[in-house]
Formats: sequence, structure tokens, C-alpha cells
Amino acid sequence: MTIDIFWRLPTHGCHSSIRRASNDRGDWSVTGAHHLAPGLDGAGEEDGYAYIDHLAQIAKAAESAGFQGGLIPSFPMTDDPWVISALLARETRSFRFMIAFQPGFGNPVQSAQAAASLQRASGGRALFNIITGGGGPAQLWWGDSFAHDDRYGRTSEWLDVFRGVWEQGDFSYDGRFYQITHGGLPPHLRAEAFPEMWFSGSSEAALEVSARHADYYLSWLEPFDQLAAKFARVKERTAALGRQQKVAVRVDLVARKTEEEAWRDIASGFDNVSQATRDSWRNQRGDSVGSARQAAVRPTEATHWRDLKIAPGLWGGFNLLRGGPAIGIVGSYEQCAEKLDELIALGADGFILAGTPHLEEAWRVGEEVLPLLGRHNADLREAAE
Amino acid sequence: MSLSIHWQLDVAAEPARNEPSARTALPGLIRDLRHAGQNRFDYYAQVAQATAQTAFDGLYLPFRAQADETRIVASALAREVRGLALIAEFPASVGSAVYAAKQAVTFQRGAQGRLGWAIAPDDAPNARAARGDTVSDGDLTLRLAEFLTVAHGVHSQRPFSFKGDFFEVEQGGFADPLNRPAFPPVYLRGDSEEALAVSARHGDIHLFSATADLPSSIAALTALAEKAGRQVAAGLLQPVLARESDEEAAQDAARLALPPGTLVGSFDTVAADLAVLVALGVSHIVLSASPQLEEAYRLGQHLLPRLRARLAARPIAA
Repeated sequence: MTIDIFWRLPTHGCHSSIRRASNDRGDWSVTGAHHLAPGLDGAGEEDGYAYIDHLAQIAKAAESAGFQGGLIPSFPMTDDPWVISALLARETRSFRFMIAFQPGFGNPVQSAQAAASLQRASGGRALFNIITGGGGPAQLWWGDSFAHDDRYGRTSEWLDVFRGVWEQGDFSYDGRFYQITHGGLPPHLRAEAFPEMWFSGSSEAALEVSARHADYYLSWLEPFDQLAAKFARVKERTAALGRQQKVAVRVDLVARKTEEEAWRDIASGFDNVSQATRDSWRNQRGDSVGSARQAAVRPTEATHWRDLKIAPGLWGGFNLLRGGPAIGIVGSYEQCAEKLDELIALGADGFILAGTPHLEEAWRVGEEVLPLLGRHNADLREAAE
Repeated sequence: MSLSIHWQLDVAAEPARNEPSARTALPGLIRDLRHAGQNRFDYYAQVAQATAQTAFDGLYLPFRAQADETRIVASALAREVRGLALIAEFPASVGSAVYAAKQAVTFQRGAQGRLGWAIAPDDAPNARAARGDTVSDGDLTLRLAEFLTVAHGVHSQRPFSFKGDFFEVEQGGFADPLNRPAFPPVYLRGDSEEALAVSARHGDIHLFSATADLPSSIAALTALAEKAGRQVAAGLLQPVLARESDEEAAQDAARLALPPGTLVGSFDTVAADLAVLVALGVSHIVLSASPQLEEAYRLGQHLLPRLRARLAARPIAA
């Protein structure tokens, strides 16, 4: 058994420390002397670098430090993952571009053509994190007015078509959302490997579509027993369809030489959170089941960073420090590796890891944590039996 | 008025060149170190480099349903060919206009604002059905208009809301810094009255074919644009066959199947012909010839300097 480990490309800027939320990498906040990509040169003039130059650095660090590739998230305020992947395809070597994509946003035939071209540009390094949307105002921002369960129906049909035109030279389809008459990619595009599909979504509708279409089911980190039950449910549903699906966890790490050092960074980050961020953190909305499942296990108010310690080594306030999932792993290199081993013992086949700043932490986690994986695994398995 | 000269990179042309499954095998006695990792994209990159190194202003990639997707190709080339405009053509059936606009913004941010958006003319009904495009013939113009209205809208307004027949947005619009780069110039084409009318309202550059009656077409375009309170530049898709002498060009033309409207002649003759077109008001020329790598060098080295020298000697809008 081998485990697939990915990193993440931050698509709306990054910060030079987990202790401070201001994006001093990229142009999402006002540029100052300490900013980079874009930044200022020695004479105080704009240096001509763009955020993509920083993303290139992160991708190269990740592929060199032992990660297969990285998840490239997509939200209203982010850059677009398809374009990032194509921009970086020819200057990276082994980095696999995991494109977060809501299928409804692209014509499935055009998307298949683009994906096959990206495979050709990158030597087969494109894959997808299929998301179906958290609902609420963001979906309408994107111009998408479909209701939650309709969106899953559309995702399912979209994947039928995307695969159909890729695998068959003459493909027709008569669905509720898509109709294709004698479509199909040309042979030289169809010859490319069909991209792996990682699927997110915690609702019943999501699990059902995932069981039919996904190679990996991707979950945010949840308390381990809750996660184990979810994994079991996914695998059971998939097996019932005669398929196999792997499961993976998307989680941030604060991994330091000592546990004390790791929590000190969390404490400092928590103390620097602005009032505005705290207010919006309390009032999160949307129809995403995944967010709700994470929200259910952490307090809705926190005056001290310790209030958000939800289990040994797990902290539930990461979304106060940066956008994204709430629960992450905090500890020494050894402890972080142990947590990942526990998740492997619970059935995890893959991870999307991340840490801030993404560039330096790719090297740190690659050099200090990944080499420790597997030491606790055998013991834990025996203990579980 | 300045002239932009672009080169056409047709991703479907010279299909066997650097296509690993199609390239000519070398005899067994030759040790062949080529691997599958070397492919079409290296060829595209070479054409793009040729274009940049011979001082073209940009690369124009026509949409091809049965070949690589042009926006992916343009993005994959953008960081290794600096300074070249990259005009990617795609159909208005690509999907969400918001998503397409967002992708354009990331391109602009990552490639110093060098993207051009060319919207492909709509295919025949059966070709559209093969791509899952079920919009009826009568609605295509409306769909295109809505697509461009929404794409521009989310880029330039916040909040932006729109409810049309094909696209709907509520409280949309890109926030800083995504709204900083310029929206890519929109290239539309077609010689019909209807195509001109769409350009007048939604296009920045209208590309005429080489067989269009330019004086009357440009006049019609300008009049329609003025009525809409806009300015639309006139462009031209121009195949050329240029050689050292008129005789040599005529000989080659006789044995090649050339696209209609191809300009044939010596470098001087073709430069003079193009200068006449520029004097008629053409400010964007997309040159094309085959094979596109060798011809980019030939025309870049021998035609462009002659054309530019002529235009410099007789300023267009003095």
C-alpha cells in the first residue's frame, strides 16, 4: 500500500507567517515594502513579479520536497486553477495539478478538450477535485442558480459526458442537463490518460455521486471517529456499485520542532485575528454540509485559543487564521506524523496537506514530517484489531 | 493609428509534427532518443518563439474542435514567450460567462495583460450538437451578446446582476485585485451584416476575411459602431505566399492549394499590397502561411521589415 500525498497552492495570496493573516504575498492586500509577488525593487519601484511567480516557487518546492502535486482551490476571490495549471505546466516536472472545479461552470465537451490538452501540455499531470458548490450567495455570484440536490444531478451528468467524449469516439447522451449527439474527442486527445477524480461533498447527494464517479473521496478533517464512520460509509456505497474508491483527507499542519513551539504559533495567530474576521467567523452560512459538520464540533465563541482545542493535537480555529477548513493538526514533527499515521490506520489512502507560508512549509513538512510516516502505523493497526 | 501584426498558430496544422504517435519513425540503425514527453506543445512553443523572435506582435490561435483547446495552449506558452499578445479563439458555448471571464483575469494577471479573446463563429447545428450546444440557430446572436455582456459586466462592475435568457448573475462582480487587469480585447469575425452589427455593439476588433470587400465593409462597420457610440478596429485574416521574387511566388502558388484571397508575390509586392490595406483602415493583420514555423521566420525576417519601412515612410494617419 502506498499513500498519495499532495500539497496545496494558495490561490488568493499567502502570508509569510501563520501568526499574521495579512496577505503579504500576492496582491490581495495593499502592497508595502515587505510584500512580494508583486513587490518593490531596491529602488522602491514595482519589481514586475506577479503572484504566479510565487505559485511557481511553491509548486517547485512541493515537487522537490516529495509531494505528488497540489490542490488548487477556486473561490470567487481566487485566481483560476485551470489557468494556473496551464501557466505552470511547462516549467514544473512532476507536480500534479489538482484543479478544483464545479462542473456546472463549463461545457463538459469543451472541458474535456481543455483537460486533454492540459494532459498533453503537462505530460499527464492534471487531475480534478470535483466540487458541487457550498450554495448560498456564492453560487449566484458565479451565475449558478441551481438548488443543492439539482447541482449534484448536474455534476453526475457532467461527469458522464466528460468521460463519454474522452473514452468514446462517437458518444451520444440524452440527459436532463446535457444532450450530446455524436460527440467525441479526436483520437490524439483521447489517447491521454483520463484524469483522476477527487470528489468533495458531505451530503447524501454528494456521497451518492462520489460513489459512482470518484477515484478518491476527499474530506476535510473531522474528529477521527466521525471521519472513520464517514469513510466506512463511502467505501460501503462504492462497493455496492462494484467499484472501489479511495479516501483522502485535506488538512493543514502546524508542525514544529517541539509541541510547545507549534502551539505558541497558534496562540500568536489567534491573538492577531481581527474583530472583523471573528465576526464573520461566527456567522458563516451556505448549504454546505461539510462546513456544518466541522462547525458542529467546535464552539461558536472563543476568547482564548485553548477554547478551540477539540482533541489532543487538533485545533478547530484554522479558518480564523486563513480561509478554508477549520480543523487542523498541531504538534511536533513526530506528533504530526503520528496523527497522519492514525488517519492512515483509519483508512486514509491520501492527503492534501498544507501549511502557512506554503512555500517554506512545503519544504519543512517534506523534510521533517513525511520521512517519519509509517512508524506508528503497524502498531496502530494491531491495536485497532 | 498603429498596426498590429499577428501570426496564426493553427493547432490543427502540420498534425504529424511532434505528435509522438504520428511522427515518422527513424530507421532502426539510428538511435532515437525522443520520448513521449516531447510533443505538440514543444512545437507550439517553437512557433511562438519564432513569432516573438521575428518581431510579430502576437499569436492568433483559431478554435479547432478536433485539436488542442486554444486557451490551454495560450496559457501553456505565456510564460516562456514574453511580450507576445496571445489571442485565443473559442466558441461562446464554453459554459459560464462568469467562469470564462475569471479565467481571462487569471491569465491577464499571470501574463502581463497579453490575452486576446476571439469568439469563434458558431458551427453548423450538427457540430454544435456534438459539443452539447443545444442553443437554436435563432438564439445564437443573443447568446453571444449575453455572454460578452456578462463577462464584461462581472469584470467592470460590482455588484453586477443580470438576468437574460442564457445567463443569470446575482450580486456578482470581481473584487480587487481581480478587477485590476484590463479585460482582454474582444475579436469577432464574419463578413455578414449581422456579424458587423454584433461587433459594433460588443467587439473591439472585427476580423474580416481576405475575400471581404474591405472599403465598403470597413465603412459599414464604422457606421454601425458610431451608431452604437463605440469604436471598433478593423482587422484582417490574411493568408500570404511571399517569396524572393514574383516569379518564384507565382510558381509556388501554382502547385499549392491556397486559401481564397491569399496575397501572392515577392516580399516587396506583398508588403506593398498590405500597405494598401492598411491605408484603407486595417489596423490589425493576422498573417498565415504553411508550414507555420518556417513561414513565421521567412515572413518575419523578410516581409515585416519591408512592410514596417513602407508604413514609416508614409505615416497612415498623418
